[in-house]
Amino acid sequence: MSYRRLISATALAGVLLAAFTAVRADDSKYPNLKGQWNTLSPRGSFDPDKPPGRGTLAPLTEEYKAIYEANVKDQLAGGHGTEPSYMCLPPGMPRAMIAYESMEVVVTSETTYILIDHIHDHRRIHTDGRPWPAEIEPSFRGHSIGKWIDEGNTGRFNVLEVETRGFKGPRAYDTSGLPLHSDNKTVVKERIYQDKADPNILYDEITTIDSALTRPWKVTRKYQRDPNPFPWWREVVCTENNQHVRIGEENYMIGADGLLMPAKKGQVPPDLRYFRQGDATGATK
Amino acid sequence: MLLRSSLGAFALLATLLLAFGVQAHDESKYPNWEGKWNRDPGPPRYDPSKPPRRGQQPPLTPEYQKIWEASLADQAAGGQGNDTTHRCIPVGMPRQATSGFPIEIIVTTKATYILFESSFASPRKIHTDGRDWPKEVEPTFAGYSIGKWLDTDGDGRFDTLEVETRHMKGPRQVDNSGLPLHEDNKTIVKERLSFNKTNPDTITNEVTTIDNAFTRPWTVMKNYRRMQGELAEDNCNESNNHVDIGGQIYYLSADGYLMPAKKGQQPPDLRYFSQAQ
Repeated sequence: MSYRRLISATALAGVLLAAFTAVRADDSKYPNLKGQWNTLSPRGSFDPDKPPGRGTLAPLTEEYKAIYEANVKDQLAGGHGTEPSYMCLPPGMPRAMIAYESMEVVVTSETTYILIDHIHDHRRIHTDGRPWPAEIEPSFRGHSIGKWIDEGNTGRFNVLEVETRGFKGPRAYDTSGLPLHSDNKTVVKERIYQDKADPNILYDEITTIDSALTRPWKVTRKYQRDPNPFPWWREVVCTENNQHVRIGEENYMIGADGLLMPAKKGQVPPDLRYFRQGDATGATK
Repeated sequence: MLLRSSLGAFALLATLLLAFGVQAHDESKYPNWEGKWNRDPGPPRYDPSKPPRRGQQPPLTPEYQKIWEASLADQAAGGQGNDTTHRCIPVGMPRQATSGFPIEIIVTTKATYILFESSFASPRKIHTDGRDWPKEVEPTFAGYSIGKWLDTDGDGRFDTLEVETRHMKGPRQVDNSGLPLHEDNKTIVKERLSFNKTNPDTITNEVTTIDNAFTRPWTVMKNYRRMQGELAEDNCNESNNHVDIGGQIYYLSADGYLMPAKKGQQPPDLRYFSQAQ
């Protein structure tokens, strides 16, 4: 009887141990990234050191230069070109790190989360030493594996190196529609670290390797911590006020009065073949 | 010179403390809720102990019972009723506590985060740092949540997270039947997430919703089960085939044409187009 009790007690202790496993044993080894981070780099251009649009001079292949130019032309005509977020699709990586909204970095020993409440673009960076999975379900944000580094042997981690793969598209670098390759074989490598002199400044060195580029493209984006101990976190809902409607291959707008309107000059209205003949109203016959 | 060195050393120390000044705390005091969770099987509904739709027997005021009946009738005719998910806007609290889609829980000493696989729900941040309610809060679908960890059995470890959520905005419903919450958005949601010590892969959430559309606080019990794997990325907008034009909901057909969602539905007004198709 006492033997059975001992087994039961041991089993219960095992369950409790699993239940309360401490996964973050030594927080003092990790940098303090708590708080709200806001971008100091311009949101309009993926490369903060270059002007947006054509001025970015991204190292695109000839094929993708032509795609980009067609996109610019379409945007000038009132379209969206290759910029997919007008329909509230997540920006995905690497664009998510533009940080259109405030960013929170939650560090645990097994995972570092980068939470950006923009369009469902929260990131999970595994730092538990796992290998790349044999198969990855493609996503806009991709699958991220990271490693904390103690550069300079300070006794504490100070750089997070991240590699992200396993994407789906369409994705663009920024609002100009600067495209990533449709094969979605993008690899994004990052080095995330605080400024040595000012821990309230954070850098992300982002290197993008993509079949639409002639070489790896590196940019460095910069963020600043809000000094407010209780910052306000906005809830951003792209769909709440989105005035864009896509019907078939055409993009239309919803006017202030709720009516459908063209997004481009001379745009034909949607085909109403599935409505009863004679029901259509409004358009000039 | 000595003073300048001391000041320099002090400044350096202050910088280092700020950089690495993570409060020491005992993580083993908190339950291991990390990973992916989902609700018990069955149709999504506010009260899992009762059948969906009218079977929920909600304590609605007569005014909101009428609003709900109209929603049910509209849905029966092919409409969406009060249910706003066709617009891909977040369902908000308390509906997102139903966990109609997998969730991930991240426990830290200052906050507990609940992330959602689906874009139907905004992430929740439950502040557990002892803060008071702020004087002004911008309303959100997820609301503003303050929580407190409890050690209910005195064993030196936390086992229960009590949460209160206020400052929601609308429109919100408690389920996909369009069961409405009051448009004044004065909802208060109280939760008690309890850890099951004999089965660490389950969490019980006692949810009480206090709302002016109800005649009394409505308390239900929800269970979450730990799942294998990690949250996927479910973007409502990627495959939403509903189109809202002028308050009318239409469908997009598989071949990309606009089509009626209800029998005899009028097509959209195309007065702003200069040519017929």
